Amino acid sequence: MTRPERLPGDPGADAGAELAGMLRVDHAGELGAKRIYEGQLAILRRGRAAAAIARMAEREEAHLSEFERLICENRVRPSLLTPLWSMAGYGLGVLSALLGEQAAMAATVAVEEVIERHYETQAERLADTEPALKEKLLAFREDEIAHLEVALKEGAADLPGFPLFSAAIKAGARLAIAIAERV
Amino acid sequence: MRSPLALQLRERLVEAILPEVAFDGWSQHALKRAARKSGIEEEEALALFPGGTASLVEEFGRWVDRRMEESLLRAPPPKGASLSQRVRRALIVRLEIMAPWREALRHALAILALPQNGPLALRLLYESADRIWYAAGDEATDFSWYTKRLTLAAILAATLLYWLDDRSANFVDTLGFLDRRLEDVATFGAARQRLRSFFSAAPNPLRLFRLPN
Repeated sequence: MTRPERLPGDPGADAGAELAGMLRVDHAGELGAKRIYEGQLAILRRGRAAAAIARMAEREEAHLSEFERLICENRVRPSLLTPLWSMAGYGLGVLSALLGEQAAMAATVAVEEVIERHYETQAERLADTEPALKEKLLAFREDEIAHLEVALKEGAADLPGFPLFSAAIKAGARLAIAIAERV
Repeated sequence: MRSPLALQLRERLVEAILPEVAFDGWSQHALKRAARKSGIEEEEALALFPGGTASLVEEFGRWVDRRMEESLLRAPPPKGASLSQRVRRALIVRLEIMAPWREALRHALAILALPQNGPLALRLLYESADRIWYAAGDEATDFSWYTKRLTLAAILAATLLYWLDDRSANFVDTLGFLDRRLEDVATFGAARQRLRSFFSAAPNPLRLFRLPN
């Protein structure tokens, strides 16, 4: 006998699943972002941009602890691939920093652009159902935009081959978002 | 049906059916008797459990989970209790809730052992482990979220099977069994910690790449 998962007239259970996916991917994303900056700092500790990177890492850490609180509170399963996001973030940070400060900043621009867009779509999807969370996402988005501007000011766009470099990182970030929402 | 009213009716039916299950098993017959006892139409009772026996067992599992959460909220563990002490308490509370219904649990496990109910059995086990960790106040958000649930699911399943045939007074044998299992996990955790501190003392190859200035 097959068991009907959902019968006509049941209140929508999909809203809960959608919110869970959002919190899961945001938590994974902030973890990745924090690890990117940590990776960059490991290489560029004495570089010119170290102070700026450290400030950005601090913001991402604040975002991360907020999402840690939220996924606990809502009993959302964290992404199964958390170790992968952590390693991939750190790896991207280290590799981009090894290519030089400009490349590190270009990576920041690419990643923050994706995250900023991602928060925007999420805030739209939340609309009026979760006003508190929506506000938080928009505030975080402001932070990400600020990071993007800092990175641009540090000369990210002057990197030779910037469009190609940034397109590759963006594709990776989008893929990670699509996976982390589900797994 | 997921409406709050359906949930409430199912809960009433589970509580009414439990005394019947020792004689009739988790069966339609017992469900009809429970419906008559609690003043719910037989047809409605059948419709509330569309998957038949498996749905009944599923609801029983969730019922135990909810009772456990309520009981832990009513009597929270002492302030300084460690995470493993809280988990131990939650497990004992579960056994206390099920103590009058051991035969019902035995039959429920027999039903869950059927191949077609394998996925349901795993889901119920996962849900219980999940709720125990949250009830214990665990705040893991990394990979340990998964390892914790796996470890606890193994302990929970083993303890339940041991408990089913435990004839000691006040289930002291089961408590001993449970404590030994929890101890195993603690020993394993301590060993892992030693390993980690050993590796953190090893040189980090990434230091080589650091810019000199």
